[in-house]
Amino acid sequence: MTRLARSILVMSFVCLTSLLLALITGPTGCSREEPIELRVICAGSLMVPFQALEKAYETKYPDVEVLIEGHGSIQVIRQVTELHREADVIAVADYSLIPLLMYDVLADNGQPYADWTIKFASNRLGIGYTQESVYSQDLDAENWYQILSRPDVRLGFSDPRFDSLGYRALMVIELAEDYYGDDNIFDELVYSSFDPPITVAKPNGTQIISVPELVRSSDARVFLRGYSVQLLALLQAGEIDYAFEYESVAQQFGLEFLELPIEIDLSSNLYAGEYSRVAVRLNFQRFASVNPSFEG
Amino acid sequence: MAFISQPRKSIIVLIVGLLLITAAIVFVWLQMAPQEHIDWNVTIVGSFGDEMTVTYDEIKALPHYEGSGGFFTSVGYINGPYRLRGVPVVELCDLVGGITPQDIVFISASDGYSTVLDYKQVMGDFITYDPATMKEVAHGQLSLILMYELDGRILSEEEGKPLRLAIAGDDSLLTEGLYWVKWVERIEVIPKDNKNTAES
Repeated sequence: MTRLARSILVMSFVCLTSLLLALITGPTGCSREEPIELRVICAGSLMVPFQALEKAYETKYPDVEVLIEGHGSIQVIRQVTELHREADVIAVADYSLIPLLMYDVLADNGQPYADWTIKFASNRLGIGYTQESVYSQDLDAENWYQILSRPDVRLGFSDPRFDSLGYRALMVIELAEDYYGDDNIFDELVYSSFDPPITVAKPNGTQIISVPELVRSSDARVFLRGYSVQLLALLQAGEIDYAFEYESVAQQFGLEFLELPIEIDLSSNLYAGEYSRVAVRLNFQRFASVNPSFEG
Repeated sequence: MAFISQPRKSIIVLIVGLLLITAAIVFVWLQMAPQEHIDWNVTIVGSFGDEMTVTYDEIKALPHYEGSGGFFTSVGYINGPYRLRGVPVVELCDLVGGITPQDIVFISASDGYSTVLDYKQVMGDFITYDPATMKEVAHGQLSLILMYELDGRILSEEEGKPLRLAIAGDDSLLTEGLYWVKWVERIEVIPKDNKNTAES
């Protein structure tokens, strides 16, 4: 072998060794310090306020990088309890899901995934609409259920099997029957709109809403979508006139919002006992660790 | 014929040698990657109780459908569209007696997640969305498939390896992510009347 070839071989060896060392040591070999990652998994309805919180927190603590990821509320918890992903903070739209789904579920270390929770904000359910929605000029807290049941009104629901807003809207409608003294509200807005029907049983002063395995709209004026985010798009596009929505989300997306009476809007601790008379049960086990029953 | 000096000849030999070795490594890697053995079974149950278990390899040997599609999550994150390949779910149902409009189909995953579909959905009846605008748009024929290949490769663990439910078509459109069940291990056809409990 010539001297030149030997030199090339040596140089190649040095280059390969350097490359290997660089790959092994990776970016930690550089002198810049990595920020501390704070992993937050939150409900979709909390994404906008949490992005503002992220900005404020990172300004105050520049060595911390907040990483936010959004899912439906049940999926938020499932990311930790079933998919075993690490999170520093989880935040859901329905605080009762945390004790329900985390207090009794044990991690590998034998400890529950959570044993405390903080209610840091409240919200209310109401009716989201736009100024172009039919009868929007007439809509108020006393007649909303009559307007929503009119044959020329297009109404959006998110799927109660998959979306917490979907099953909570059913609770509001059922609570409305007692509040307004009208036993037909649920039938007109819900029972007659789906096939197979979503039904209510009333044992011992409670109201149990039963959601079948399969939910399909059977009424051309009722639009069922998997996620509530899709209803926002339909409202903004004028494809539907009304949909149940959280007040905070309606504000974030520039929608009109009709406040419902506090007795039925699921917002107040004072009425928690009343709300809890209504429960929604899913007729199939959607998740391994989720008891498919939710209380108002 | 041009004269080549000895040192130059050595360099050429060295370079050619390195190229050959690299090519051989790449060739072996490409040959090996798709042949990864995947130990995975799917149980399929028919509406009359017929039950069979098919392996991942047996599923891959069935007639496949190839199309494109993607999905969005509950908070609107868009994934895809991708090039998808898999076996139509209707073909899998046919292995245990088929599906009729009076049936529904339970799809279950190894992580405990499950979803339910009706006959129309098994036949490809889904709402589709334009990936650019996220507006609902019309679509051509769709196929509900048990996907084993995404963009020409096997799925990653995060993507639902080895089998994931997917909705594919010719138009590269999006569908709701709740139907894209990862890690599918059971498909069960059930007569609708057996399941729906009609309370007053």
